[in-house]
Amino acid sequence: MRGSVLPIENNLEETILNFIKEAFDKKCIEAVILPKRIPSGDSFAYLLIKDKSILEGASPFPPVIPVQGAKAISSLTRQGSVKKKILAIMHPCEIRATIELFKLKQTTLNNLIFMSYDCPGVLPLSDYLENPDENDQTFLAAQQKWDSKDMRPVCKICTEFSAPASDLHIGQLGTDEGKIFLIPNSSVGKEFLNAFGLNSDVPLDEWEAEVEKLKKERENNKKDAQEKLKTKVEGPENLLETLSSCITCHNCMRVCPVCYCRQCYFDSDAFKFPPDNFISKSEKKGSIRLPSDTLIFHLGRMSHMIHSCVSCGTCEDACPMDIPIAQIFNLVADKTQQVLDYKPGRNIEEPLPTVTYQEEELQEFEKPYSETYIKVEETNV
Amino acid sequence: MNDEYTPRIVGFLCNWCSYTGADLAGVSRLKVPPSLRIIRVMCSGRIDPLFVLKAFLKGIDGVMMMGCHPGECHYQKGNYNARRRFILLQKILEAFDLEPERLGIWWVSASEATKYAKVTTEFAKEIEKIGPSPVANEIFL
Repeated sequence: MRGSVLPIENNLEETILNFIKEAFDKKCIEAVILPKRIPSGDSFAYLLIKDKSILEGASPFPPVIPVQGAKAISSLTRQGSVKKKILAIMHPCEIRATIELFKLKQTTLNNLIFMSYDCPGVLPLSDYLENPDENDQTFLAAQQKWDSKDMRPVCKICTEFSAPASDLHIGQLGTDEGKIFLIPNSSVGKEFLNAFGLNSDVPLDEWEAEVEKLKKERENNKKDAQEKLKTKVEGPENLLETLSSCITCHNCMRVCPVCYCRQCYFDSDAFKFPPDNFISKSEKKGSIRLPSDTLIFHLGRMSHMIHSCVSCGTCEDACPMDIPIAQIFNLVADKTQQVLDYKPGRNIEEPLPTVTYQEEELQEFEKPYSETYIKVEETNV
Repeated sequence: MNDEYTPRIVGFLCNWCSYTGADLAGVSRLKVPPSLRIIRVMCSGRIDPLFVLKAFLKGIDGVMMMGCHPGECHYQKGNYNARRRFILLQKILEAFDLEPERLGIWWVSASEATKYAKVTTEFAKEIEKIGPSPVANEIFL
């Protein structure tokens, strides 16, 4: 990997904001999408900024993800693609989700330039809201030390924290004090650096080594965390115990970037029944929960979108009952994505695993019964 | 109670191959397990993973997915999609240790009445061995 080196003036946020301002001046971009603290001070919102002066005080590296960036992008491009060059700075998971939405034909990416960065993770939204000022300091310290102990559980085990399919990546790992790397991942990113007159041919071995190191560390964290989680969700009884506190608010589905359906199947008439139906069901078991689609909602949603789950953790942030829903989805996503050899957001050219197939594949899964079948056939002959 | 246990199995059969195969099995007077309830779908690709999960959570003991042999789908590629969805489901069930062996996929063509009778009988026996579904009596689903 090769890229450029950018010196840091004062602090990282200011450097990036100055970089964006310069991009405005150089006519590389005409607008920028990035988070800014809301007036009340306790949260952040994505803004489409056209006026350079509003950039002052914006937060390219927010300590929380209140709204998933992919939702911001899809709301912008719902009715067609943008005509002017716009730069969007987002967490790597948000960019991966945007790519998934593009594959699902829910957004267009023409003229959008994506900028990602080595993500140290973000704080749990509910924790942050308790004391924003103190938590800003906690986050700043964690960001500098790459210490993920206060971060969200899914951030602690995230291995895709660096260099997704963005155009331009900010490398913070493995740099000396006072500089960052700018890594172009596409021709658009390269043009961008050229416009700045930056030499984009500096070797980035230290960065690569540090990223690999952190990846290994996170990989180990993931293994431990998943083992721990398994004791909570394995077997119908445990799974029910974990999920039955669900209040069916469906927040997890509404905030999920890849749950794009205008009407969720679980809100549709297919899940509404006449009263007699409920009564006959309760007769069979002796009793029935009302509303009665808790587990089917989670498992069903999972079966519909798990291959595109980027483990961004927004669902867990939105859960009022503190169900570790993002960790559960991460566990299953790992398994399903592995077997289908698919990583969401890895490559924009890669087709979704449910719309593509190979003629000869995955036959080992049909085996258990077909083998016994063959045995029976032979004995009959 | 256990002595009276007969499994309840749902089979999702594609209209063009498996359902016709099942029909042929009936016409040929082959014995098929009475515990199997057949739901006809136009193609195995129509089987939403949700259908299967819903069946399981309603207390069904086993689910069979059946379609045309790979490469012989009436709609060209429905069964390839079905195969991927089946694997997705298997992995979800596996992740939660929800007995993935209760779900299977078979390719049965319209002429394979004997295969149909054999796989259904076998699967029914297998499910009988595994026993009743543990979620059948859960009330907080």
